[in-house]
Amino acid sequence: MTGLNLQKVFRPVKTELKPPKYKLMTEAQLEEATRKATEEAKEKLRMPPVLDEREPIDDILAEDKFLEGTETTKYVFTDLTYSIPHRERFIVVREPSGVLRKASWEERDRMIQIFFPKEGRRVIPPVIFKDEHLVTVFQQDRHEDILNMCIAQFEPDSPDYIRVHHRTYDDIEKHAKYDLLRSTRHFGGMVWYLVNRKKTDGLLIDMLHRDLLDDATSLITLYHMLYPECQSAKEAKEGKLQGVGLIKVFVKTESQKEGYIQLALQAYQEAMATSTAL
Amino acid sequence: PPSPAEPPAFDTASRYKDKPWEYLETEEYRATYGDNPVWFGYRRNHKGAVPPQRTRKACLRKGKPVGNPCPICRDRNLFLDFRNVKLLDQFICPHSGVVYHPTYTGVCMKQHKLLTKAVEQARDHGLLWLRVPYVEAPRGDDASARHPAVGVTPPAPQLLRGAPWYPWYEWRQPPTAAVARLRRVYKDYLKEDGAPA
Repeated sequence: MTGLNLQKVFRPVKTELKPPKYKLMTEAQLEEATRKATEEAKEKLRMPPVLDEREPIDDILAEDKFLEGTETTKYVFTDLTYSIPHRERFIVVREPSGVLRKASWEERDRMIQIFFPKEGRRVIPPVIFKDEHLVTVFQQDRHEDILNMCIAQFEPDSPDYIRVHHRTYDDIEKHAKYDLLRSTRHFGGMVWYLVNRKKTDGLLIDMLHRDLLDDATSLITLYHMLYPECQSAKEAKEGKLQGVGLIKVFVKTESQKEGYIQLALQAYQEAMATSTAL
Repeated sequence: PPSPAEPPAFDTASRYKDKPWEYLETEEYRATYGDNPVWFGYRRNHKGAVPPQRTRKACLRKGKPVGNPCPICRDRNLFLDFRNVKLLDQFICPHSGVVYHPTYTGVCMKQHKLLTKAVEQARDHGLLWLRVPYVEAPRGDDASARHPAVGVTPPAPQLLRGAPWYPWYEWRQPPTAAVARLRRVYKDYLKEDGAPA
């Protein structure tokens, strides 16, 4: 459903100026190059994981009352063994009151970034992820950029990552800018979010406007897989409907914007009729 | 006799100090610069054909302006703020997204530092275009997500029993032989404050 638009996936990004390279290829070589490009694009379009919010770490290992008053600052002890994954790393904090506790998730992320820096990630998350600045970014239609920055900066189960993603999806749904994410790896996450909250109407209308019937049917099949008890799912299973029939059943039972979807369906069917007539 | 009026120096406050982006919309700016960027037509004064690879350090020496100040210092209404994106855009290459070298635009080194800081702030706030490198998203759920390092560790059995972690955490009676030895060594300095505990 994400749609494989090679032109958009490999579009030119502003980098260092280099003169363009021209290659002379036969038909077979061109096909080979397109096939390789499609494989690379499929790899780039793989959906990032969608996880629940992580539980805050709240574990005290020891309480040593006689250390109270000896120090004025907290001490953070990080296990720097190179070959263990970051989730299994022990990071503990000794407070000035003598309590030895495990570091919270934010402290863990900061410490791991200081000792094992990852490209594209900063120790303190940039200001752009605050709500007031996200609005500026959305006005410039840079949803894909901010989602890429979010993947680089945060872990998939951190509350900041989930908050930024939900804000982006809400804004896209509010202004019906679904096409911005169409050929990117974030499209799957957006569809999952919308189907979970039953806000699929705008997306369905957009798909019908662009004549993507297969995508529309896959969206409705996904909805039925998630909510098998709803009426349209039962009717579809009984009647084994396909294509336009499936959409009609869905529109009658589940959607809020029935009128708009009926209009879009009619326009699509007229377009199909005229194109087949031609 | 009327006191001689001093010529206006660079330190009189400009009207656009708080809102520098408004100046770029005015007639005055349009008349001065037209469609060209602010640094267009500025020529540095230097000896020889090759200009020095660093521009001058600052245009204001001890509060007094130098001759031929740089494009930003010569116009007192131009402020390098992260909010006036139009001005900052004039110093960034539209093709590669890189800030121009000061020898190209002619700004002094102090203004160039302020310019780089302002550009970085604007990129942080989302007002300027930023190149986002492609970072592969990590794989989903694997077993290391539930490791005891990030979960709850049950406390050690001896702590639950109530015993101290090291035996010397609690106060213990010191051995009498050691106490007697120390008293003998320091007997000239011991105060008369009663029997030891």
